[in-house]
Amino acid sequence: MIRNKSMKRASLASAVIAAGALVLSTLPAQAATPGVSATEIKLGISSPLTGSAGVAYGKVPGAMKAYFNYINANGGVNGRKITLISRDDKYLPTLAATQTTNLILKDNVFALVGALGTATHSKAYKAAALAKNNVPDLFVNTGFSGFGDTTKYPTTFTVLPSYAMEAKIMSKFIKEKFTGQAVALIAQDDEFGIDGVNGFKAGALTLASTTLYPQSSLTDARAKALLTGLSAIPGKPVLVMFGTTDVTAGILKAAESLDLVSKFTWIAGSVGGDANTLLALGVKATTLNGVVAASFFPDAKDKSDEYVSQFMTINEKYNKGVTFDNVVLQGMNSAMLTVQALRAAGKNLTRAGLISAIESKGAKFAGAGLVPLNYSATSRIGYNGYWFGQLNASGELKPYGGTLAIFTTDSGAGAIEASTYKRPTMPKNGIPTNS
Amino acid sequence: MIKTTPTKKRLLLFIFFGWILLILGDRVGDLELYQGSFVATYALAITSIILLTGYSGQLSLGHSALMAVGAYTGALSIFNAGLHPVIGLIISVFVAGIFGLILGLVVARLSGPYLAGTTLALAISLPTLANQFPILGGEEGIVFDVGVASARFGDEFSQYKWFFWISALAALIMVWLVANLLSVRYGRTFKAMRDNPVAAQLSGINVGQLKVMAFALSSGVAGLSGGLLVMLISGVSPSAFPLSLSFAVLTGAVVTGLYNLKGVILGGLVLVAIPEIADSLVSRIGGSEGFTTTLPGFLVSALLILAVVFTPNGPGHLLKRHHHKKKV
Repeated sequence: MIRNKSMKRASLASAVIAAGALVLSTLPAQAATPGVSATEIKLGISSPLTGSAGVAYGKVPGAMKAYFNYINANGGVNGRKITLISRDDKYLPTLAATQTTNLILKDNVFALVGALGTATHSKAYKAAALAKNNVPDLFVNTGFSGFGDTTKYPTTFTVLPSYAMEAKIMSKFIKEKFTGQAVALIAQDDEFGIDGVNGFKAGALTLASTTLYPQSSLTDARAKALLTGLSAIPGKPVLVMFGTTDVTAGILKAAESLDLVSKFTWIAGSVGGDANTLLALGVKATTLNGVVAASFFPDAKDKSDEYVSQFMTINEKYNKGVTFDNVVLQGMNSAMLTVQALRAAGKNLTRAGLISAIESKGAKFAGAGLVPLNYSATSRIGYNGYWFGQLNASGELKPYGGTLAIFTTDSGAGAIEASTYKRPTMPKNGIPTNS
Repeated sequence: MIKTTPTKKRLLLFIFFGWILLILGDRVGDLELYQGSFVATYALAITSIILLTGYSGQLSLGHSALMAVGAYTGALSIFNAGLHPVIGLIISVFVAGIFGLILGLVVARLSGPYLAGTTLALAISLPTLANQFPILGGEEGIVFDVGVASARFGDEFSQYKWFFWISALAALIMVWLVANLLSVRYGRTFKAMRDNPVAAQLSGINVGQLKVMAFALSSGVAGLSGGLLVMLISGVSPSAFPLSLSFAVLTGAVVTGLYNLKGVILGGLVLVAIPEIADSLVSRIGGSEGFTTTLPGFLVSALLILAVVFTPNGPGHLLKRHHHKKKV
């Protein structure tokens, strides 16, 4: 028993010190960044792997993993290997919210990459409290311009140009190349189509006819009735199809059976203009020959493109059995941008550091896109332009008129400008060392 | 000594259960709280199915549509009308209830496969209809924000705990109300109607009116569950209410046992836990991506078959039987 007062005090103090030491020894010296260790960086993606959207976009996570594995085999990023944890959200908002929350709370990922879908990701962003935890939300795959709003999505960087940009640039292209021809628009009646309709307005394109249809309502009979009506427009009208690929295919097939293919100049938006899918859906190669389509990437079949050929090589080795197409190209490109962003953020990786690295260096990242990347301290929008090409009978997209003409703009009232942008050359062997 | 009636006993039981949840809520992490909120929400949806199918004998494949009505009502009341979230959720219940009442009036003459077909059509068409009205926000939908918890709960009080408190409390109150309703005359007349509508009518029960009432009540409960569901994902949009949701809830109800409310939490747990179990199973065995994505569906189907074969009236009923045997 302790009788002496000073002894009592000393023992109390030593007990406090011991307890304090015990607590301190169990705490890490500094709160570690989630998902980053000396040997690993954990990234996460929530996207559709199954269901109808899974058929079209299910290749994205696999393509990204393939590229990361290639980088890992070549030393990783600053000595750390990249692990991508992929979760299936079936393109459903509820699943996107829970899967993204799982990625943050359970898998403890450092950042998200390549999330896909507007309705899904806008819910997931809030539900997983990405803003509160300052989780970098990189290279979101949607053309919805709303993700560029930093008050709502302070950690998000989008990668695709917006639908509004596409429609604005398409307006200028039509006015220049098809002067005197009447223009008819067939667009999907939702954010995607409406964003487009507003873009055509901003691009001051006079439309002789606008048809808005609810998603999956344009049946063969309706398409035929619509085309019969539009064929009454004198001359050779330009027909703009601003919808998904299945609808573009439906309209083109209706034109085939009505023998109206040569009546119109056909233009397909970037969403509905994928030649491989159109051919697979039964559109004749002769019909496809000459269809005008918008893109910001090189053609995924163009082996002479240095990025495409490098990605094809990686795909063969690290993504065995998967056909290389636009979706694989897009996934690998986003993965390449991610590697550059991680390098730019330096060895001492933090979430805030990654975000500011993209803001300061993102516009100079090497990538397959033929149009500029627009990242800056004030812009979270990635690619901000388009070029127009013409499909040939084998489904290859060749620059319209023989020379590549790039236009850039924004999603608002900004000017549409011709651009002389030359993308950075491919890093040696596809391994970035530039950032 | 205080006389304990079954109603009082039930109230005490629910308060006790709520108290346990409150304590549990402080002991577990954010992820568990978030999952717990989903369990409560699905438990409510299952309650509405049990009320309709188990008690009044009407089959609905369109509960996702009724949930959507509640969800959109709640979102509009909070986002557009600027009402308090609690009031928004209460309005969800009433508007979905009125919608169910109207629907009930229309479908009261239908039964069996005709009713199933009609409600199925509703589940497919209603969410798509939402795309047609700009006020409902189209494909992206509208925000459903209940805001953060009051500062007096402290800084440590996370968004997920707030979700858990709201959904668990709402589910407890609603299930308690439904349990009370079913333990009095209504419960008995519902059962009479389900088991033999002709006999019920002969004993003076207005079967048509009762069917409509069951539809309205079930709709109201489904509406609340829809409201809570979109609270958890911070926004409502048509794609949040796919047909698969109707089937998932129905599966949960069958696993729970269609004829009593005792296992609703279990049904909710099954719907939330199955993907988790599949996930950890795959990570342990190390399967391919295709394996991960198909395993939850497989497990749910297997469970459904096992439930139908071994406990057709639900595990709650099994307990009861065991209890009875003991007494004998």
